[in-house]
Amino acid sequence: MSDAALSRPLLELDTVVKTFGGVTAVGGLSTRVTRGSVHGLIGPNGAGKTTLINLITGLFHPTSGAIRFEGRSLEAMQPQAIATLGITRTYQNVRLFSGMTVLEQVMTGCWLTREVGVFASFLGLPSARAAWVRTREHALSLLARVSMDHRADELAETLSYGEQRRIEIARALGSRPKLLLLDEPTAGMNHQEATAIGRLVHELRDAGLTILMVEHNMGLVTEFCDDCTVVNFGRLLATGDPATCLADPDVQEAYFGRKTDAERIQALR
Amino acid sequence: METLLDLWAAYGSTIAFAMVNALFALSTYAVLSTGVLSFTTVVFAAVGGFLAAQSVAHLGIGLWPAFALAGIGGAVAGSVVAAAFLKLDSHWMALASLALVLITRVTVLNTPLLTGGVNGLVVPMSVPMGDLVILLALVAAVFWRLHRSWYGLAARAVREDAAVASTMGIPPRGIQFTAFVISGAVGGIGGAALAFTLQFISPETYFIGMAFTMIASTVLGGSFHWFGPIVGAAVFTALPVTMQSVLPAIEDVAKGVVLLVIMIFLPRGLVDPRAVGLRRAARRRVSAEEGTDV
Ligand SMILES: Nc1ncnc2c1ncn2[C@@H]1O[C@H](COP(=O)(O)OP(=O)(O)OP(=O)(O)O)[C@@H](O)[C@H]1O
Ligand SMILES: [Mg+2]
Repeated sequence: MSDAALSRPLLELDTVVKTFGGVTAVGGLSTRVTRGSVHGLIGPNGAGKTTLINLITGLFHPTSGAIRFEGRSLEAMQPQAIATLGITRTYQNVRLFSGMTVLEQVMTGCWLTREVGVFASFLGLPSARAAWVRTREHALSLLARVSMDHRADELAETLSYGEQRRIEIARALGSRPKLLLLDEPTAGMNHQEATAIGRLVHELRDAGLTILMVEHNMGLVTEFCDDCTVVNFGRLLATGDPATCLADPDVQEAYFGRKTDAERIQALR
Repeated sequence: METLLDLWAAYGSTIAFAMVNALFALSTYAVLSTGVLSFTTVVFAAVGGFLAAQSVAHLGIGLWPAFALAGIGGAVAGSVVAAAFLKLDSHWMALASLALVLITRVTVLNTPLLTGGVNGLVVPMSVPMGDLVILLALVAAVFWRLHRSWYGLAARAVREDAAVASTMGIPPRGIQFTAFVISGAVGGIGGAALAFTLQFISPETYFIGMAFTMIASTVLGGSFHWFGPIVGAAVFTALPVTMQSVLPAIEDVAKGVVLLVIMIFLPRGLVDPRAVGLRRAARRRVSAEEGTDV
């Protein structure tokens, strides 16, 4: 890849607008995510963070504006085409498949890297079996990364919320994406579990993945994010490195209601 | 002796009908297992049935070529239906498929040259029980392979949450299209099997009664594993016969009550792999609690 391509942001949002009837969920937001970074997406409830992730993954199409990934426009693309480009995600309200074991969930996430045609797999050709076994090993290794391999054969819906979140991360990693979108990956987790997620995110980044994560815990944002984008009412409040963003008076007002209350944000860290 | 033979005759035809109904239930399951409720199996069965009946009568082909032709005809019909219907939301889809069943009947009635119209068609071929068993075994083997392949995994994902599946690169419409082609082929083959079992077909053969039977069989047996529809069809076909000998007067009521009871207490059907996993998890929890007590 040329230097120019490398220095260009991996993901660019250009005045993205999304309205639902009369509600403006995202109101002309622009930001960029650098290749190889952990980018925090933060903002109060209802700020439009999940909507942004839905727009990037093609579940919604923007009312106007542009979303570019490696220079390609995503606005009109179907979700499966966007996944094929190398963007996968997790969900704020865990959406695992009912009736599937933990391993099956992650295998499903490996659909794009299965290395074998659906028909060959139906016929059960030796090459298809070998590819299946390789994919299975890959899925198990991903489960090991999130410390869930010992639960591989259990029904995912019988596990705890935190465990399900980790399975979702493994599932999203199945297709070896370039950009991973995590929607509140640490929600409902204690400090120790949340820190483990933060460390995992760093390991993944060091292995070349770019991560955009919605995170409400400011401590985690300052500790684990390289950059961040702060939104409120679907608009950009601040973007840049986390410490500077969180010190921004507009950001503090959005979170705490008063510009002067600077001490409390310190206390939260 | 005579009554014994009568019994065997009744029993034998029940088994044959159970197997034919299993084909229809599997055809319905093919699309239901990707999250689409459709009654179009009836349409595919009509296509396969009349195609097979006419080709054995006029082209002189044998039983198995007729099954193959019926399967191909059904698959073509399935792809046409999929192309037209898959744009619709799921509940409209179900309604549209029902409308298509009505349209099919009118079409069959009004094309007497092809279908015999209101008078129906005598089918100059019958299917031996052994061939029917082989046919069902072959179709079941296809579903077994589908279930254990990448298609099966993708189908389950699409059924449970099509949006999530699509963000993992699985094309929901593509999977559902394939499901319709499979449903069409199996429905067509089932239609031919029914024609060769009844040896007479008319517009009434492929109509609402069949739609009810196949949906009831699938829901009863369970639509989360291919074995469910086969079990469901067996139970649903045997039920009226059993009821008739036990409670002849209230057969329909009893049939309805038994169905309701099963659906209320086993809403996911008789064959449910998920229930096994849930029971295992419950046992694990119990033993974990006992472990901490000690
Ligand atoms: N499908 C939808 N239809 C209508 N309105 C929607 C839809 N999705 C989101 N909204 C609205 O868009 C706004 C932004 O919602 P969004 O879920 O993106 O917020 P969020 O930042 O993820 O909030 P939270 O922190 O609570 O998850 C909200 O006002 C919400 O009600
Ligand atoms: Mg959200």
